[in-house]
Amino acid sequence: MPALPSFVPYLIHTLFPPWVRRPTEIGAEVMMVAGGAFIVYWLLKYKKLQWLWNEWLTTVDHKKIGIMYLVAAIIMLARGGLDALMLRTNLALPTAHFIGASEYNEVFTTHGTIMVFFMGMPLIFALFNVVVPLQIGSRDVAFPRLNAISFWLFAFAAALFNLSFVVGGSPNAGWTAYPPLTELAFNHTVGENYYFISLLMTGIGTTITGINFLVTILRMRAPGMTLMKMPLFTWATLNTSALILFAFPPFTIALLESLLDRLAATSFFTLSHGGMPMMYVNLFWLFGHPEVYILVLPAFGVFSEVVATFSRKKLFGYPSMVLSMTAIMVLAYGTWVHHFFTMGAGPAVNVFFGLSTMLIAIPTGVKVFNWILTMWGGRVQFTTPMLYFLAMIPTFVIGGATGVMLGAVPADYQFHNSYFVIAHFHEVLIGGTVFGLLAGVYYWWPKMFGYKLNDRQGKWAFWLFAGGFWPTFIPQYWLGLEGMTRRMYTYPLGMGWHTLNVISTIGGFIMGAGFLVLAANVLYSRRHQEKDLTGDAWDGRTLEWSIPSPAPEYNFAVIPTVDERDWWWQEKERRRQGEKPVVVKPEEIRPIAIPKNTPVPILLGAAFFMGAFGLVFSWWDIALAGLVAVFSILIYSWFQYDHYRILSAGEVRESEELLGRLGA
Amino acid sequence: MHGGDDQHETAMEPGFDFISPRFEEPKFPMHQVWGYAASLVLTFAALWMTVNRIMSPSVLLGVVLAMAVAQGALQLGVFMHVRESRGPAWHLLPLGMAFAIGIGLVGMSAWIMLFKSGVS
Amino acid sequence: MSSRALDDKAQKLQLAELPPEFQDQEESIKITGFWLFIVTDVLIFASLFATYAVFVNRIASGPTPAQVFQLNTALIETLILLTSSFTIGIAIWAMRQNRQRMVLAWLALTAALGMAFVSIELVEFAGDVAVGWGWHTSAFLSSFFLLVAAHGTHVTMGIIWAVALLFQLRKRGLTTVTRRKLYTFSLYWHFLDIMWVFIFTVVYLGGRLI
Repeated sequence: MPALPSFVPYLIHTLFPPWVRRPTEIGAEVMMVAGGAFIVYWLLKYKKLQWLWNEWLTTVDHKKIGIMYLVAAIIMLARGGLDALMLRTNLALPTAHFIGASEYNEVFTTHGTIMVFFMGMPLIFALFNVVVPLQIGSRDVAFPRLNAISFWLFAFAAALFNLSFVVGGSPNAGWTAYPPLTELAFNHTVGENYYFISLLMTGIGTTITGINFLVTILRMRAPGMTLMKMPLFTWATLNTSALILFAFPPFTIALLESLLDRLAATSFFTLSHGGMPMMYVNLFWLFGHPEVYILVLPAFGVFSEVVATFSRKKLFGYPSMVLSMTAIMVLAYGTWVHHFFTMGAGPAVNVFFGLSTMLIAIPTGVKVFNWILTMWGGRVQFTTPMLYFLAMIPTFVIGGATGVMLGAVPADYQFHNSYFVIAHFHEVLIGGTVFGLLAGVYYWWPKMFGYKLNDRQGKWAFWLFAGGFWPTFIPQYWLGLEGMTRRMYTYPLGMGWHTLNVISTIGGFIMGAGFLVLAANVLYSRRHQEKDLTGDAWDGRTLEWSIPSPAPEYNFAVIPTVDERDWWWQEKERRRQGEKPVVVKPEEIRPIAIPKNTPVPILLGAAFFMGAFGLVFSWWDIALAGLVAVFSILIYSWFQYDHYRILSAGEVRESEELLGRLGA
Repeated sequence: MHGGDDQHETAMEPGFDFISPRFEEPKFPMHQVWGYAASLVLTFAALWMTVNRIMSPSVLLGVVLAMAVAQGALQLGVFMHVRESRGPAWHLLPLGMAFAIGIGLVGMSAWIMLFKSGVS
Repeated sequence: MSSRALDDKAQKLQLAELPPEFQDQEESIKITGFWLFIVTDVLIFASLFATYAVFVNRIASGPTPAQVFQLNTALIETLILLTSSFTIGIAIWAMRQNRQRMVLAWLALTAALGMAFVSIELVEFAGDVAVGWGWHTSAFLSSFFLLVAAHGTHVTMGIIWAVALLFQLRKRGLTTVTRRKLYTFSLYWHFLDIMWVFIFTVVYLGGRLI
């Protein structure tokens, strides 16, 4: 037998160390390989490769990019949810060892990281992409190519992060990745490299998205649409993008410095050489607290649209809504120390940040009252998105109130790092963000795909998900008060935590069932729901409902002049009074420039992936090759000029005719 | 540039007159020359003050920082044409916020992490 | 005729008076986008400055700031960068006067000054490392090297950008697109100059004061 080249055992040892050869990891590996093989088989069998490349992988159309974000987010929700169920199963009974301690560390780390960065963020961007250009009467985002680059950086970063589970080992220091636990001296596996590098990568994409949508909203609104006439989801996007712009840079630096500590022997957060681990914590929460509002403001935007549409009334207190949202955006930067009061920076610091934390509850309260007053006297329709809104109110109010409790500095010394905190932030993140984004997905689904999701099944999914939520997280407040700390993988008998943990785990599985029903709902509706031919499935109020569903690639054949809030609702009102029919006049149609498809974004993502993979394992030649590839692609793309193709007026007229939109 | 005929304008925003754009392009780059000279003067003045320690170090640090801010404003105004734009100069708002948050970030981080307010 | 249509006419007239890089809607949007990139970069440098401010006294067993910094070198670097900021400013002025050869010359000079700056910085770094003051030595040195090297990396990117821009300008002349590209490059370059002024003040002058 010929001897194997010496690098083969080295590769096997490096890529597949013992801690990725446990049953869970091997199971995941089998699933990944089988899933990948099935997809390749399906693509080849139905000859879909060409279609996939032309229609999706190289697209720069904001609507398609939005749908790709949505698909990725749902897959990541499944992975993060599975992680959560593994954690809950391990905690159900005292002294249980369903998964071991080190594996538990990995799973809670990936659960948090995936849910925040690879589920929450893409779901937000899915809605941004699908909705915002349509809501402001624009043909695309400001920078369509950069938009695709953002997506592919996110997608490849997500792939890299998930790869860690089966190749080389997962990160295991929590989603916040505090040093010194992440330092090389205490953590020898490549797991934390995966964490820092994949988040740097997706962070670049996210920052670009923030810039993109800020410019889109500031510069590309339909004529007549001044800031105070914008729909509230667009306002939410504007504020979220601003938050991204200011919050991600400190995070980038925190990640970079940690990574340099590990890969290049710097002394930022080390325990020796004068390093200071708490500086990481400071930089991390400079990002981390605004990130909370990055996640929740879009949900506020969704609720503002949903509650007005399904109460059939204009939103109560529009100016105060805008003002409170902007106030949240600004105040979000002044509260970050409440995540580490126990560091003991001093009474003045802690009092300052305790007060600012309580202050931010005020604008949030304003919003809740405005939503409730919007329903007041309206004809409320209890559709699935509206149910999510109604479920949000009590959840978010309780979660917010416990947040104020945590903001009280002396009390925080008791609550800190206990299950009380876990219960609090899951209540605001699920009750606020996830409910909001699911409401948004149900609400804008017809705009994306041209049919509604089945409402009956949607309600089943809602009752399971929202119903499972309460037993899961309410007991955790008490567990925290009884002294159960976060991130403990098991606990002894006789602590009195047993019953509450069982309830919590059962609740978790009910939520899991809710997710399954939701997935079934998606698959069922694809085949069985009737097409929405009006383009206005919910009798909506804003611009996106004035065009067909799904929107044609050019969005608006003629961009309307929007000189009032809820323009489409007012237009329909005028139409009912026979004032002015809403149709596209053929003579107003002019040629439209459409951004061309391009392989640059996906190739750039792949080049980043290669460089990142090299960095994870400190294979400098591969990392360098990745860097060279990134620059080559950028320079190639920079010298390309021909980014648009022209859709002639005739073609647009034809397409509008087919959609039945042309007036005489 | 892309040839489509859909280049509508975003109108001036009511209440936002302070970001209306301004332009200038004189025949001789007088502004630039003055700006360059001023930046040199500021640099040498700061250096001279530091080397000769003309006042107490903490005050002096404040003074040279103020001179750096003046140089930054000079670059922004003279060289970067910060008021130029088509339609309202929207970038002025995030830019102003970036400077505010940037200064707050550095100052507050130092305040928090140097434990100057006494350990509790 | 509606008032809106009148507004349109007035706007068209105004547009014709704008510099070419702003006359095109799409190119002017790219300039706004680039300003927002600068916003994120301001915050990147703010985070680096924050790290430096917190770490400046954490010298462990390494050298103090006063030992490491040489004001002479820093002053030369500052003068080079200030001059390059002036030269790119002149290039933009020449662009607005439609003098392409002049634009090319001033841009090339800017890139050359940038290269001189980076070379001096590299020599300075090499000198520090040679006497054992690498970034491993102390948290202070880590934060110093990262802050200054981040700026140096930005300048290096700028040089690559300027060279690519020279090729493109020669090939295509002063079009709406190349004008916008030169304009955004100048924004980038001036911004780096501002950041360097702060590094000079906080790091090099500050090192003398603490």
